[in-house]
Amino acid sequence: MIELQGIHKRYGRYEAVRDLSLTVRRGELFGFIGPNGAGKTTTIRIISGLLAPTRGTVRIDGIDMAREPVRAKRRIGLIPDRPFLYEKLTGMEYMRFIADLYGVELGRTDGRAVELLEMFRLSDRVHELIESYSHGMKQRLVMASALLHAPAVVVVDEPMVGLDPEGIKMVRDLFRRLAGEGTTLFMSTHTLSLAEDVCDRIGIIHNGGLVATGGLEELRAAARVAGGGLESAFLALTREERSP
Amino acid sequence: MRAVLTLLGPRWRAGRRGRSGPGARWRTLVFLVAGGAFWAGIFAVTFRVLTYFQSVEGLGDVLARKLLSMVLVTCLALLVFSAILTSLTKLYLSRDLFLVHSMPVDSGEVFASRWLESAFDSAWMVVIYLLPVFLSYGLIYRAQILFYLDIGLAIVPLCLLSAALSALAVMVLVFLLPANRIRSIFVFLGLAVLIILYVTFRLLRPERLVDPEAFNTVMIYLNAMQSPSNPWLPSTWVYDSLVAALSGRDGACLFNAGLCWSAAAFVFLLDLQVARWIYFPGFSKTQTTRSRLIRSRGSGWFGVLRFLPGPIRALVVKELTAFWRDETQWSQVFIILALIGIYLYNFSVLPLNKSPLPTVYLQNLLSFLNVALAGFVLTAVVGRFAFPSVSMEGDAFWIVRSAPVSINAFLWIKVAIYVLPLVVLSEVLIVASNLLLRVTPFMMALSSVTLFFLTPAVVALGVGLGAAYPDFSSENPAQSVTSMGGLIFMVASAALIGSVIVVEAGPVYSILLSEIHGRALTAVQWGWLIVSFTVAALLSVLGILLPIRLGRRRLEG
Repeated sequence: MIELQGIHKRYGRYEAVRDLSLTVRRGELFGFIGPNGAGKTTTIRIISGLLAPTRGTVRIDGIDMAREPVRAKRRIGLIPDRPFLYEKLTGMEYMRFIADLYGVELGRTDGRAVELLEMFRLSDRVHELIESYSHGMKQRLVMASALLHAPAVVVVDEPMVGLDPEGIKMVRDLFRRLAGEGTTLFMSTHTLSLAEDVCDRIGIIHNGGLVATGGLEELRAAARVAGGGLESAFLALTREERSP
Repeated sequence: MRAVLTLLGPRWRAGRRGRSGPGARWRTLVFLVAGGAFWAGIFAVTFRVLTYFQSVEGLGDVLARKLLSMVLVTCLALLVFSAILTSLTKLYLSRDLFLVHSMPVDSGEVFASRWLESAFDSAWMVVIYLLPVFLSYGLIYRAQILFYLDIGLAIVPLCLLSAALSALAVMVLVFLLPANRIRSIFVFLGLAVLIILYVTFRLLRPERLVDPEAFNTVMIYLNAMQSPSNPWLPSTWVYDSLVAALSGRDGACLFNAGLCWSAAAFVFLLDLQVARWIYFPGFSKTQTTRSRLIRSRGSGWFGVLRFLPGPIRALVVKELTAFWRDETQWSQVFIILALIGIYLYNFSVLPLNKSPLPTVYLQNLLSFLNVALAGFVLTAVVGRFAFPSVSMEGDAFWIVRSAPVSINAFLWIKVAIYVLPLVVLSEVLIVASNLLLRVTPFMMALSSVTLFFLTPAVVALGVGLGAAYPDFSSENPAQSVTSMGGLIFMVASAALIGSVIVVEAGPVYSILLSEIHGRALTAVQWGWLIVSFTVAALLSVLGILLPIRLGRRRLEG
C-alpha cells in the first residue's frame, strides 16, 4: 500500500533521509520510531506529498506520488504533529471544507462528519470558531477530518500529543479498528509503549537511514538484546549507530 | 537595564542573520535603490516647491512655514497611528510573549524592551522619509549646523513621545477591554483618524498655497496662512524649534527641543510605572478572553456556491469566510472606499479650463493617463489583498499541500477569487473618472477595455509573486507587500502597466488627432493600431501566465 524506494532527501549539504526503502502492506499498522532529528518528520512529509524527495519514488496504493500527486493524495489522510488549522472557520465548516477538497459527496458529508465529530467528542463545539479550541480539541478535529474521506492510508505524526487519557485510549482503539478494517496506518511516534502495544511492525530510523524493521522479536534480534521491551532494542540499536 | 538589553538581543541577532542570509546582498541592494529613488523624489519635489515659494515675493517664508507645520502635524498623526498598532502587537499579541513573561524579569523591564522595539518599528520609515524634506529646508534657507543637529534633537523625542503616549493608551485600554477586540477597535479608530486627517487635509486644499488668487484679498490669504498652531501639540514644539534653528535663534531652538525631550521622558517614566501596575494583568487577561466584534452562526457560502466543483468551492468558501470574519480586513476595505472617494473628488476639482491646452485634448490625454493611475491604485489594492493571500494560509498551508488539489489549481482559484471584485473596482474607477472628465466615447471604451484586461494580469502577478515569495510564518502576512517579493511585485506591476500604456500611446494619439481634426485614419495608422493592441493584449496574457508558473514552481520546489 505504501512503497518507498531508495528515498533520499538533502537540505543543502545535510542529508535528512538516505536510501530509505520500505513497504507497508494493506491493513498493516506500521510504527516509525527514532531519536530527535532522525528523519521521521521528513519521511512523513515525503509520504504525504508535502515534500518531494531528492531521489527515489513513493507509491501509494500503486500510484506514483511524483507523477500523479492528486490521485495519490486522495487516498491519504494526514494527521500532522501540530494541528495548524484555519482559525476563522468553525469545526463543522472545516469538516465541510475538507469534504469538498477531497471530493466527498455533499449529501453524505454531514452525516459522516457528525458521526466523526461525535466520536472525537467535539459535537458540542462544532459551531464555534476553531480559534477558540484548545490544542487537544484541534488535534481531535484534525483526526476527524483526516478520516472523513475514508482514506486507504492514514499517515500520523505523533498522534497522542495534546490528547487527554480518554482521547489516547480512544485513538489507540480506533487505529487498531481501522487496521482491522483494511486501512493502512503509518505512525511516527516517540511513545515506545504505544508503538509496542498497537503496531504490527516497527521501523527504527536513525541518522536518516532505516536501521531495523520488524516485530519486537526481530528488533531484539537485530539489536542483539535478549529480553526487555521495545525500549531496550531501540536504545541498543540507536546507541550502536552512534558509536560503531 | 541589563534585562532590557538581553530581551532585545534575539531581535538584534535575528536582524543581523536576516541580512547575512542567502540573497541578502541582492535584496539589500534592491531595497536601497528603490528606497533611495523614493527618497530622492521627495527631496526633489520639496526642493522644487520651496524654490517656487522663495520666488513669491513677501509670501515665500509664510508659505514655507505653513507647509512645514502641515508636514509635522501629518507626521505626528502617522507616528501615533503606527505606534498604536505596533505597541498593541509588541506588548500583547506577539508569539514570543509567553516565553518572555515566563522569565524572571520585572514587568517594567519587559515593557521597556517591547516599547523600544515598538518605538523603532513605528518610526524609522517616517523619519527616513522626513529627512529629505528637512534637508531641502536647510539648503534653501542656508541653515547653520544647529538646524541639522536639531533635526535629530527634535524628531527623535517626537517619535519617542508618540510611542510613549500610544503605549500608555494601549495599556489602559487593554486593561479595560480584551486585546483581540482592542485590535479591531484600534484599527477602525486609527483608520477613521487617518481618513479624517486626509479628508481634512484635502478640504484644506493645500493647492491654494500656490494659488493666492483663490482668496478675495491678500489679507484673508495672509491670515489663513499665518494662523498659529496649537501650542499643546508636540508637533508645534518641533516646528518652533526647527524654525528657530533656521532663523538663528539658538535659545528658542533648544528650549523647544527641550520641551519635546522632557515631555517624552515624563510620559515614558509614567508608562514604566503604569506598566508595573497593569501591563501583566492586561496581558494575562488577553490570554483568557477570545472575542470578536461580530459573531456568526455559520457560513452560508456553502449553499450559495453549491454549483461549483468541490475543491473550488472549498477554497472559495474558506477564503470568503476567513476574509469576512477578520475585522482587520474590513477596515482595509473602508480605507480603500475612502481613497476611491478622494480619487474621484480630485478629478471633479481639476481646473481644466485654466490650462493653456485645448480642453478636449487635455480631457482625453488625462483619461489615457488615468488608465495608468487607476492601474497603480489597482496595484496597491492587489498588493494589500491578493499578494499576501498565499502567505495568509500560514502554518495551515499543509492542508492544501496534502490535499488532492494541485498547486496550479490552488493558485488559479486564488486569482479567480480576486479578479471579479477587482475588475468591478477598476471599472468603477475608470468609468466614473472618465464621466467626470467628459471624455469621448472612444477614450471611454479604450480605457475601460484596457483596464478590463490589465486587472487579471495585475492580480495574477500579485498571486504568482506572492506564491514565489511566501512568508508562512509571519505574524502579520498582510504586511508582506513590504517585503522583497512585494517590492518585486510593485515594480513588475508598474512595468506591465507602463508597457501597455506606452504601446497604446502612439495609436491613441493619432486617433485623438484625427478625431479633433475630423480626418480619417490612414492604412498605416490602422496597421499600427492593430499591432499595438495585439502587443498590449499579449503583454496582459503573459502577465497572467508567467507569474503563476513561477509561483507554482517555487511552491512545489
